[in-house]
Amino acid sequence: MLPRLRRFAIGLTGNGADGDDLCQMTIERALGNRDKWRGGSRLDSWVYRIMRNIRIDEARAGQRRLQTFVDEEAGGSVGAMGAQEATVELSDIDAALARLPDEQREAVVLVMVEGYSYREAAEIVGCPTGTMNSRLVRGRDALLAMLEQEA
Amino acid sequence: MRPTPEELAAFADGELDEARAAEIAVLVDDDPALAREVARHRDLRAKLSAHFAPILDQPVPSRLSDAVRPRSTVVDFAAAKQRRKRLPRWSLYAAPALAACLVLAIFVGGRPDASTGYADRQLASVLDDQLVAGQGDEPTRILLSFRDGADRYCRAFSGAAKSGIACRDAQGWKLEAAGDGSAMQGGEYRQAGSDTAALMAAAQDMATGPALDAEEERRARGAGWMAR
Repeated sequence: MLPRLRRFAIGLTGNGADGDDLCQMTIERALGNRDKWRGGSRLDSWVYRIMRNIRIDEARAGQRRLQTFVDEEAGGSVGAMGAQEATVELSDIDAALARLPDEQREAVVLVMVEGYSYREAAEIVGCPTGTMNSRLVRGRDALLAMLEQEA
Repeated sequence: MRPTPEELAAFADGELDEARAAEIAVLVDDDPALAREVARHRDLRAKLSAHFAPILDQPVPSRLSDAVRPRSTVVDFAAAKQRRKRLPRWSLYAAPALAACLVLAIFVGGRPDASTGYADRQLASVLDDQLVAGQGDEPTRILLSFRDGADRYCRAFSGAAKSGIACRDAQGWKLEAAGDGSAMQGGEYRQAGSDTAALMAAAQDMATGPALDAEEERRARGAGWMAR
């Protein structure tokens, strides 16, 4: 589960260092709140929901805290996207994702990367399934427009 | 009726109900523009998952694994003990399962130990016949049943001698994870054992959806635990 949690965090934040910071905060909050988890809902969905809520809080706080963490940790952790051969080609996707509005990026990552059903993704985000569906379409169209323009 | 972009995306993602999916399949077959749209959607999905897939194989940075490891056992035992008094059965292993799930993810990389073995005849007959609902004091209990990523039916079981997770394939019940079973003695502590928590966590990791309910279990048994 931890590798998947990292993937989601990196998908949301757009880079390995921020993603790992987000992941760490999520684990800490999840363990601190574990008595709130009710079996029956999927554990991973529950943790993902915690993560996206932290992400929203952080975004509201102007990402100052994440920024500080990153500065302190610079060099300490290897960014997920950093040392790969296909960096140039792959970073198009990161750049395009980064330009999406948060809620569209979240929809795209939950469904197209993490493989959640629309209903599960909507539950994590706390929106109606139809809303999830249309965010996904808008995010997808914007991504395709950016990626196909570059190609 | 021509599908909306939302419907077309839902179609490409396999999210539509059967009737509407069948209608759209016909439209897509007849209309190259629609077919192209579906292909674009699926291409993007493939591209995105390929882009992020390598993260799963990277080692988890130690600061993350450290964040998970130290607190799990002691605190959880207390939490589980407290909870045992007031919550329904599922929650008995909920708290330990959460920590164990995160912990387990570090040691086995999110995958249960693979074993080449199959359940022996005695265990297989328990797995074949016993339903979660209505279990009494059977020596081996079924904890839950679920479907895994390979679309097999899997069942987590726990007994004094042996516990684990077995998935039904064409040959029989393949053992996918094994515990030592020792945590399972004494009624009151039955579901709160760390062994059980680890199994629940492993099951959570393998499952593609929620655990089967009583009716789904009965139907699966009726089908000999073979999917489809």
